[in-house]
Amino acid sequence: MNGESSPATDREPADTGGFLRRLRADLADTLTRRGLAIAGTLTALALVLLFYYPVATVFVDAVLVEGTVTLDPLARVLTDPFYVGWVADLVADPVGFVGVVVTDPAAAFAGGLGLVGFTAYQALLSTLASVALGLPGAWVLARFEFPGRRTLRSLTILPFVLPAVMVAVGFVAFFGAGGPLNGLLTALGLPRLGLLYTLPAIVVAHAFYNAPLVTRLTTAAWEGVDARTVETARSLGASPTRAFRDVVLPQLLPAVLVSATLTFVFTFASFPIVLALGGFQFATVEVWVYKLANDLNYAEAAALATVETALSITLTYLYLRFEARQGGGGRGVRPLDRRPLLPADWTPKATATRLAVLGYALVAALVFLGPLVSMVVASVAGAEGVTLRNYAFLLERQQTGASFQVKPFTAVVNSVGFAVGALLLALPMGVAVAAATTRRFRGRKVVDALAMAPFAVSGIVVGLGLLRGLVFGVEVFGVRLSVGGPVAIVAAHAVAAYPFVTRNVAPALGGLDRRLVESARSLGASRTRALLDVELPLVWPGVVAGAAFAVAISVGEFDSTVVLASGAESYTMPVAVERLLGRRLGPATAMGVVLLVVTSLSFVVVERFGERAGEREREGADTDRDGGAFGR
Amino acid sequence: MTDVHLDGVTKEYAGSTALSELSLHVEDGEFFTLVGPSGCGKTTTLRLLAGFESPTEGRVRFGDDDVAGVPPEDRRVGVVFQNYALFPHMSVAENVAYGLRFSEPPDGQSKAARVADLLDLVDLSGMGEREPDALSGGQQQRVAIARALAPGPHLLLLDEPMSALDARLRERLRVQVKELQSDLGVTTVYVTHDQEEALAVSDRVAVLHDGRLEQVGTPRDVYRRPATRFVAEFVGDNNVFEGEVVDSAVADTGTATPTTAHDTSVSPLETKEVTVRVNGTRFALAAEPAADEAESADARSVSAGDTLTFCVRPEHLRLGTARERGDDSWNRFEATVASAEFLGERTRVHLDWDGTPVTVRLDAFEGEPGDRVTVGFDADATRLLD
Repeated sequence: MNGESSPATDREPADTGGFLRRLRADLADTLTRRGLAIAGTLTALALVLLFYYPVATVFVDAVLVEGTVTLDPLARVLTDPFYVGWVADLVADPVGFVGVVVTDPAAAFAGGLGLVGFTAYQALLSTLASVALGLPGAWVLARFEFPGRRTLRSLTILPFVLPAVMVAVGFVAFFGAGGPLNGLLTALGLPRLGLLYTLPAIVVAHAFYNAPLVTRLTTAAWEGVDARTVETARSLGASPTRAFRDVVLPQLLPAVLVSATLTFVFTFASFPIVLALGGFQFATVEVWVYKLANDLNYAEAAALATVETALSITLTYLYLRFEARQGGGGRGVRPLDRRPLLPADWTPKATATRLAVLGYALVAALVFLGPLVSMVVASVAGAEGVTLRNYAFLLERQQTGASFQVKPFTAVVNSVGFAVGALLLALPMGVAVAAATTRRFRGRKVVDALAMAPFAVSGIVVGLGLLRGLVFGVEVFGVRLSVGGPVAIVAAHAVAAYPFVTRNVAPALGGLDRRLVESARSLGASRTRALLDVELPLVWPGVVAGAAFAVAISVGEFDSTVVLASGAESYTMPVAVERLLGRRLGPATAMGVVLLVVTSLSFVVVERFGERAGEREREGADTDRDGGAFGR
Repeated sequence: MTDVHLDGVTKEYAGSTALSELSLHVEDGEFFTLVGPSGCGKTTTLRLLAGFESPTEGRVRFGDDDVAGVPPEDRRVGVVFQNYALFPHMSVAENVAYGLRFSEPPDGQSKAARVADLLDLVDLSGMGEREPDALSGGQQQRVAIARALAPGPHLLLLDEPMSALDARLRERLRVQVKELQSDLGVTTVYVTHDQEEALAVSDRVAVLHDGRLEQVGTPRDVYRRPATRFVAEFVGDNNVFEGEVVDSAVADTGTATPTTAHDTSVSPLETKEVTVRVNGTRFALAAEPAADEAESADARSVSAGDTLTFCVRPEHLRLGTARERGDDSWNRFEATVASAEFLGERTRVHLDWDGTPVTVRLDAFEGEPGDRVTVGFDADATRLLD
């Protein structure tokens, strides 16, 4: 290089051609050099426009009434016994309240929990139920070997892609007076259960949704326990029980806590399940925000939504703290041996263990299969046997329905169309955020938190914000900007879906050897070229899995869609199911089955590519080991 | 090709200093090795050269050009990593051709011809269509070298490229790498923690320790004339002793003290001997002429009562019974055999000399642990350290 040109200009093409050619070359050069920065900026803009601005308008609605700033709506929510129960009495008159507590505790707490308290209470019960139902599942999956174990293990991802509205329909069919649960109880000579529209119905449905999450995370932790640590404890004199308590349990506990916190976050903001199984008499905060918005009481809705969002963000923050403390499973771990499900020797202890597994399997089958099977069965059940009457009803409604009535085929088309639109937005956003946050830089955590915030804010709030902001229109420099409902729905779906793309892509990107990128760069590739040539091809299965998640999230999205869907013309499948559910169970279950089929298709894609990615990683690891130890 | 300068380079990571004020000059076409234990800063230096990191202070120059702010893709530097970092989704040929997507082959060849030439150069002709995963570790390493060389880099950086290979293959490959490098004449910076490898392949070696340069020189220099105790103990086996100066004619004449280690104008120790006492035994040490080794530790004055550190290589120690080593020109002490390692063509014997461990390297040894032996060494075989 001595005496030559500087290294920076060494490789510039000696292009003395036309101005346009140079301009195009410059543009291409800028794109490859600054591509990541450009994608990041566009993503940030999209987030501000489609998420932060709408959510901010909701907060502004809460403190700005008829042009004046006021804390009245917030104060009203926080002191209304309807919302906060006995806490309202405590706030209104602390000294008096303490006096009443001492003299007559029953009277002091007679105000009950209020709406917010009830929301937290049902979330707590749901979390306990989910952990109780999920932990034995982790035990069975991690410690026993049986045909189909791997399939079952991957099925635990199901709750993420099952639309909540469909689960609700399943439980309505399952718990209902004519449903299989009461049929079973009657057959056994037991009294019938009136579970529908009760708290237990909500709790069981939430457990259906979240217990697999507990199972999944705990199984992963259990499989990450190195058998050698247990063997070391045993060789040092610990009994099997003691070794479990001292070595295994401490490694499982963080996973249990993480999944429990996440379950609490989810169930605190759960909407369609509570709406369908509880109705307004068992309303949670989320349901009430929806009701207030429906009644056009925006100020109070906004105030309540602000309180809810504050609580949600706090909970999500706690969850992220927990999750961050969880170390990733160590490499080169030898997992604990799994026992065969059918023991060679039926000792009393082995028999008792297998009976426990069998008992759990029955309960799990009832809870997990019951609702789905009930829904399918109810959709084809008629008084005189199997019938397609309900499906015929859907077709007929499509042709003859009034303008305010659900049009099933339109709903399917809308769902697919919105999903494609949401995917086109969510995929680049998710990949850009993943690429930005896997690199180390100052303020990375802040960027990560800002980008993941949609995780913590309920769909109702986003929908409400988009409705009040972009759909009703905003004035920017005297120009009135407004977007149509369908555009807003696509935006809301993209915001809800892209964190799932990021969550699928980021770990794969982070797991790549940074030296791959460094090699590419020292060979002359810009940062963006290295991403396109090396990183993305290697994490492609993660990208595809993220895309399938995004589609599934969009297809199942209900919360913001129901706020934004202005009429039957923009209903999606979940909204159609919910609308039908209010009137006729049969067509609702038929529509639910249609939703199940569409969702299952995206689930198949997720698992296909997820599994393939896993196999590829494992093969890679094996070759590394061989190549490293024995240079042939 | 280019020569490389590091001028007072310091690199700090949040709270810790990886390199402090490192200055080096790698000559054009030189095979230059950075050696040191893990955490010594050698990989940091390499990453600074490649442009993956930038120095906190100081300058990196390629020839006359300061490369501050020049991104890795514009530096014309080839990098070979310890794990080779081959792109697993590309064939061997695609890996080698990758760098040619961004620049034309250096000698006006077609890209395909360049790839074929390089595969031929590293003995992998006909392997172009294979997947990297299907190759052995040694083959993968050669693909990585071919890939790094393809765009005609001005500087080749090798980051512990042998450490994932087994010992026998490592020895064979390092000879090949050295031959390839001298054929191409590409300036090469090689990073390794293996001092034996460093001595075997390098034109010059820099020994790093805790982010500082301990010594730089030819392999022979560094081995024969270690400048510091760290170098003496890190490069090859060594016995390092601390002794008290008891009788030093040198100390008497040492009035004209050099001001710095580099000042060789006055040499108080010239051709003199120092007598020191270690474990109650007196040794005469040769103080080598300081004139031809400006950077050595010898060029300084000592006086009676001072503590002096010196080393003797295990191969310069001789064993015998006391009677056999009656020659007065040798320094002698008696020790007990602790253990012996049979290494094939030689044997390493560990001795216990009144609590001080001593290592001796012999062509053959028939003794048993517990035997008393007399150990002798020539005054000329000793080397004074800082």
